[in-house]
Amino acid sequence: MCGIAGIYAYHYAANAVDRAELLRIRDYMAARGPDGIGAWHSQDARIGLAHRRLSIIDLSERGAQPMASADGKHVITFNGEIYNYQELRASLENRGHSFQSHSDTEVLLHLYSEKGEAMVHDLRGMFAFGLWDAEKNALLLARDPYGIKPLYYADDGWTLRFASQVKALLAGGKISRNPEPAGWVGFCLFGSVPEPFTTYQEIRALPAGSTLWVNRVGPREATRYFSIADSYCRAENVQTSDRVEDVKLAVREMLLDSVRHHLVADVPVGAFLSSGIDSGALVGLMRDAGHRDIQTVTLAFEEFRGRRDDESLLAADIAAQYSTRHTTRFVTEKEFRDDLPRILDAMDQPTIDGINTWFVSKAARELGLKVAISGLGGDELFGGYPSFRDIPLWVRLFRVPGRIPGLGDLTRLLITGIGHLSQISSPKAAGLLKYGKDYPGAYFLRRGLFMPWELDSVIGTEMSRIGLQRLNPIRHIESVLKPTPRRSFGRVATLESSLYMRNQLLRDTDWASMAHSLEVRVPLVDADLLRKLAPITARRRSHSKRLLADSVRVPLPRPVIERSKTGFTTPIQTWLQRDHRIEKWRRIPTLAAENCAWARRWAFQIAAGA
Amino acid sequence: MRQSGLRVFALVTDAFGGHGGIAQYNRDIFSALAGCDGVRDVIILPRIGTTSPDALPRGVQQLPPIRGRIAYSLAALQAMRKYAPVSVVFCGHLFMAPLAAALARLAHAPLWVQAHGIEAWHEASWLNRRSLEMATLITSVSRYTRRRLLEWAQINPDRVKVLPNTVDARYRPGPKPDRLLTRHAVANRKILLTVSRLSSAERYKGHDRVIRALSKLLPEHPDLLYFVVGAGDDRLRLEALAAECGVTKQVRFVGYVSPDELPDYFRLADVFVMPSTGEGFGIVFLEALATGLHVIAGNQDGSCDPLCDGALGTLVDPENGDDLALAIRTALAEAIPPDNRSARFGTDRFAGQVDELQKLFHSRPLGQAPQREVLPL
Repeated sequence: MCGIAGIYAYHYAANAVDRAELLRIRDYMAARGPDGIGAWHSQDARIGLAHRRLSIIDLSERGAQPMASADGKHVITFNGEIYNYQELRASLENRGHSFQSHSDTEVLLHLYSEKGEAMVHDLRGMFAFGLWDAEKNALLLARDPYGIKPLYYADDGWTLRFASQVKALLAGGKISRNPEPAGWVGFCLFGSVPEPFTTYQEIRALPAGSTLWVNRVGPREATRYFSIADSYCRAENVQTSDRVEDVKLAVREMLLDSVRHHLVADVPVGAFLSSGIDSGALVGLMRDAGHRDIQTVTLAFEEFRGRRDDESLLAADIAAQYSTRHTTRFVTEKEFRDDLPRILDAMDQPTIDGINTWFVSKAARELGLKVAISGLGGDELFGGYPSFRDIPLWVRLFRVPGRIPGLGDLTRLLITGIGHLSQISSPKAAGLLKYGKDYPGAYFLRRGLFMPWELDSVIGTEMSRIGLQRLNPIRHIESVLKPTPRRSFGRVATLESSLYMRNQLLRDTDWASMAHSLEVRVPLVDADLLRKLAPITARRRSHSKRLLADSVRVPLPRPVIERSKTGFTTPIQTWLQRDHRIEKWRRIPTLAAENCAWARRWAFQIAAGA
Repeated sequence: MRQSGLRVFALVTDAFGGHGGIAQYNRDIFSALAGCDGVRDVIILPRIGTTSPDALPRGVQQLPPIRGRIAYSLAALQAMRKYAPVSVVFCGHLFMAPLAAALARLAHAPLWVQAHGIEAWHEASWLNRRSLEMATLITSVSRYTRRRLLEWAQINPDRVKVLPNTVDARYRPGPKPDRLLTRHAVANRKILLTVSRLSSAERYKGHDRVIRALSKLLPEHPDLLYFVVGAGDDRLRLEALAAECGVTKQVRFVGYVSPDELPDYFRLADVFVMPSTGEGFGIVFLEALATGLHVIAGNQDGSCDPLCDGALGTLVDPENGDDLALAIRTALAEAIPPDNRSARFGTDRFAGQVDELQKLFHSRPLGQAPQREVLPL
């Protein structure tokens, strides 16, 4: 796991690559890669690549980056892990390739020389890379199927710059800081900035599961090579056995296979452990995969110590069940207050979440871990969210009334217009008829933080006008549903995985863990696993977490399996409310209202510059 | 004429036989296009200009100009039928985008729109915006114009490319012409130069700023002169300003200079200075660079491009009078700059870029794309 950067002065009029700028971009990401640094420039100084290394596979200098192919034609800077690199390497060796190192990076170079851009289909893992092809005189950018690893680029029309972080690109000092209204509107609507937008006009995310070529006329349009929607559509046409025992066995094999792949490392791999099924089952599967000495870490809060809200007790039961070396890390309000400026600084793009991950990553690093397994993605994969039940229900209820022209807008105006009603009802209630009639609309309501008509007071009229026009939130949501899965499970899973998980959970996990130089691995976010598992889950109506729980040889403690999803809270909201540094929201009447959700206030605070 | 390749149908204000920067730019593009292997021919329909321009490059055909809007639209439709099948519709100005977009749709051809400067900086009308957004390719003359356009247009930025101005070979270094030295009686004098219209509607060029800076420089440079080349209705005001600043004798309003004589006026000068705030690109900066002058420009607009962010000349904050005076002082003290600076914007490079751009319409993927799918914005 690392930080990557590059500058390509592709246009004939552009100045040569400014080496100092490239180093500023690279070194802003020091925390992403504390173990090594590297930079490479072409002879004509038109392209420069840079790298900061967190060494996990092949710790030797031979794994250093940027790495060039033996013939010097290809140079790569790569962030991530290729979990099937040993298999790929073996087959490449069979075909006559010889290797200088034991790193997965070198496998990428050989694979590219054989397959070109189509190599991305062979990769299992999380990755973002920039690969310079001297023969083509072009740069290839690529990002993993789910978008676990970030990749941002800024093109000013002459020069293209890319990096793992938005703030790193800005640290280079040559990119316009013009705000991107669509990014800000997206943040206010969803609580995270939806790709491909960022909050800066000039900086964009390479969409997950895409590649992008840049040649002397600049970036071509990105090409998507993977889509979650497509995976569910295909899965719906696959016949599977209905026998309970067959299904159980198959799911266990798939999960075990993913976990095994995610354990590939030359350093110890630990795990985040909560009291939930996802992380618990993963720890059990790690054991089943033959991983004996597992370091687990659980986050707990001093306030809750010994109370029913304390999930660390249940987590400790899981740890005991699987005989891990377990640590419960308590966070106090004082520590939170002290860390808050660092948290805001590490937050690469505005988000309303990620603080928990910050602390659990901090704890893991204190224990000396460089790699930790996380249960992220379980709810998307197995239908654990209430949305799997709610969204199809809303669509059934509102499909007919929602079609009556103007009725949705009228109810919305009535509810928001009547002072008394708008006080007691949530802003979302006003949108039920307007949006509840189809999947994209209902999803928008489910995940919505602010409603479009509230934005003027949060980010201003002009920003919200242009942002809404450009983002077009409903069309944005619709775009991930192409092709559209037939069944509700596939639709909701696609929406949750392509939007909430991608833009919120994965982004937050990346910045919050990398700030502590910790690599987080997510075995439940794996395109290979999805392909195999989706034919089974896609046929279900909703909750299939039980499949995950049952996949472990030694079962999870009963209370873990039987506990309802909405069990625990954290005191972080209370801490934030008490923090005198965070009170800009008090000026906005709707936010100051008693019944206002805290996330809305926090979002406003972030948007206003916390 | 080639028998295969793209047929480009171009709607422009003027091109061959026209005057001004946009006509020049269009001529450069079409000449370059006609020279590309992948292009069969270019059919141009201008709004204004002469009916029979001089020699056209091989592969370029220019139809007679038509002024009226409706007549022009009908003629465009007719021409497109006559020259069918058209492979690309080129639109030379944003205000023609609705017509160009409609024609492109009729012909099932991709649309290529050119953005020059100020017309692309502010949100266009709904129709113009929607038409522009249909473009497969937008070329912008500078990075600045591109950025301004992307502020309001809902278009994937990867489709907006920069194609800078290029510079005419008539602009090259040379001794100060005796004829002009005598005419203006300015032997052995250091000369600052600005070349632009003097329009009261566009007071962004920065003459005011240079005149004020001049008064600051007078004590150390009593011999310094400022030549203002160009005509327009703002001259009286500028003359009054010069008087107010006590530099009447130092500022020479030359008036209109014919294109033939213009290169000599550049050679007469030592420093070209135009701290403007409204340049789409500023082709005059390239002309000054090609002549071998020191060049000073503002850092707030398209001027950054011809000066390559300061690599080829000095960029100043146009609103800061002290900065400007300092830049002029430094330029006067420095040796003559290297004279090959404008090679960066040479016609060969321009033509190479046009060739790469037209390849985008042949839809040849760079690598073996796994699945061709254009992503949503």
